[in-house]
Amino acid sequence: MVITAIVTAVAVLVVILLFNSLVRKKNQAITAFSTIDVLLKKRFDLIPNLIKAVQRYMQHEAGVLTDITAMRAKAVSGEMSDAETADLDRKATQVIGRIMVAAENYPDLKASQNFADLQASLNEVEEQISAARRAYNASVRDYNNALEMFPSNIVAALMHYRKRVFFEIAEQERANVDVGSLFAS
Amino acid sequence: MRSLEAFYESELMPDLVQLEDLRKTAKKRMVPVVVFAALFNLACLILLAKTGLPLNMMLIALCISAVPVFIWYAKYFKGYKDRFKDVIIPKIVAFIHPELKYEKNGMVPKTAFINSRLFAEHPDRYYGDDLVSGTLGRTAIQFSEIQVNRVERVRDHSAEAGSSRKTRTRVYPIFKGLFFAADFNKSFSGTTIVLPDKAEKLLGGMGQALQKLNVQKGELIKLEDPEFERLFVVYGQDQVEARYILSTSLMQRITAFQTRTQKEIRLSFSGNMLYVAIAFDRELFEPALMDSLLDFSRIKEYYDDMKLVIDIVDELNLNTRIWSKQ
Repeated sequence: MVITAIVTAVAVLVVILLFNSLVRKKNQAITAFSTIDVLLKKRFDLIPNLIKAVQRYMQHEAGVLTDITAMRAKAVSGEMSDAETADLDRKATQVIGRIMVAAENYPDLKASQNFADLQASLNEVEEQISAARRAYNASVRDYNNALEMFPSNIVAALMHYRKRVFFEIAEQERANVDVGSLFAS
Repeated sequence: MRSLEAFYESELMPDLVQLEDLRKTAKKRMVPVVVFAALFNLACLILLAKTGLPLNMMLIALCISAVPVFIWYAKYFKGYKDRFKDVIIPKIVAFIHPELKYEKNGMVPKTAFINSRLFAEHPDRYYGDDLVSGTLGRTAIQFSEIQVNRVERVRDHSAEAGSSRKTRTRVYPIFKGLFFAADFNKSFSGTTIVLPDKAEKLLGGMGQALQKLNVQKGELIKLEDPEFERLFVVYGQDQVEARYILSTSLMQRITAFQTRTQKEIRLSFSGNMLYVAIAFDRELFEPALMDSLLDFSRIKEYYDDMKLVIDIVDELNLNTRIWSKQ
């Protein structure tokens, strides 16, 4: 009788601990994602300045500037799912990259202090976003591990927890940049 | 750039030849001092044993025999050592980089050591010498040899009742080696610490669980680079900031630096500064007494020890200033 009571008590305790640990891991992943979100907004906040700095020069690339303005409007509106945020981040990274490459064609623009500062700020946000992505992926790995490993997988199944997806970066970004082709023109 | 050999032949050789004379004299004068001390102490010991006087009296004998040693040090060795540090080491420093300055009695300030937060214990005794400082490219650096101890007062159980000495001090080493401080190229607000990973190497996953309990240094930060994780453990206050500082490329660079040097290395990123502590057992940048100075491998050793630290700037890419901190 006593033994049954002890075993039950221990089992309940273990379930509670597993439950709490899973909740903590889930929340950590959510917090990590919101950090990415904040940094993405920070990057979009630099966009108006970027456009102001480059639009005088980039008459031919006006399309790119319109694209990025539209993206910023979407980001600021704030109603996006995680997947949409990830997608928008990918696209914005590409477009900003294109603007930076195009800027190489305008020596005056490149020489201006204003543009150099902006480039430094963008580099910094870019680096912070990459750090936030890594932090998010680390917490997702933790969470997914808990979902698959015994015995927390049983509790997770009861809680209907599902595996989260990693924040992947676009294939183009992962491929090594061919510096030669950038300067070929 | 000239080779070290050519520099050694043309710049150092004339001074080394002069210094070698000083060294030989110092070494020659040391022999009678040592012989006297040994014989005197032995004689006193025999005397004490025969007369049955307390063994504590040996302290007096030791003190007496120390006098010639002090005289020898002041008269022969100190002058030799100072000449060496005034002439040879500054030349090696200037050879490595003309922007660098050397001060034989300087050291990285104690505040820098405390600000690094690398060692939790309070540095009660802090000594150092051989300070090298300067600006390499856009990065201000300084490093010196330091020795840091913690002092604890303990009750002296062996003291006799009624004697005035009830406590005695015990000295525990905290750190000995080279301490390097540099202006870091990214700005950040918290502290991130990279320590050699002892627990994980020994205990694997269990070690990681133990590291998690080490809350005083901050949160445990698990990074993605498996090679880096095998060698180091990282603590910080902010998961994102730590990854912002420890970019994937910086992790590779730190791993490569560790693999090349094979020393116990600790890094701290705190208050926009990078601190690196490299443990050394031996004394650095000190002149030889027993062996000849006219030995290229010895000069190469001074050069290598110094280059090891100065290379941190290039190896960790501190001169890349593409972020908003200029």
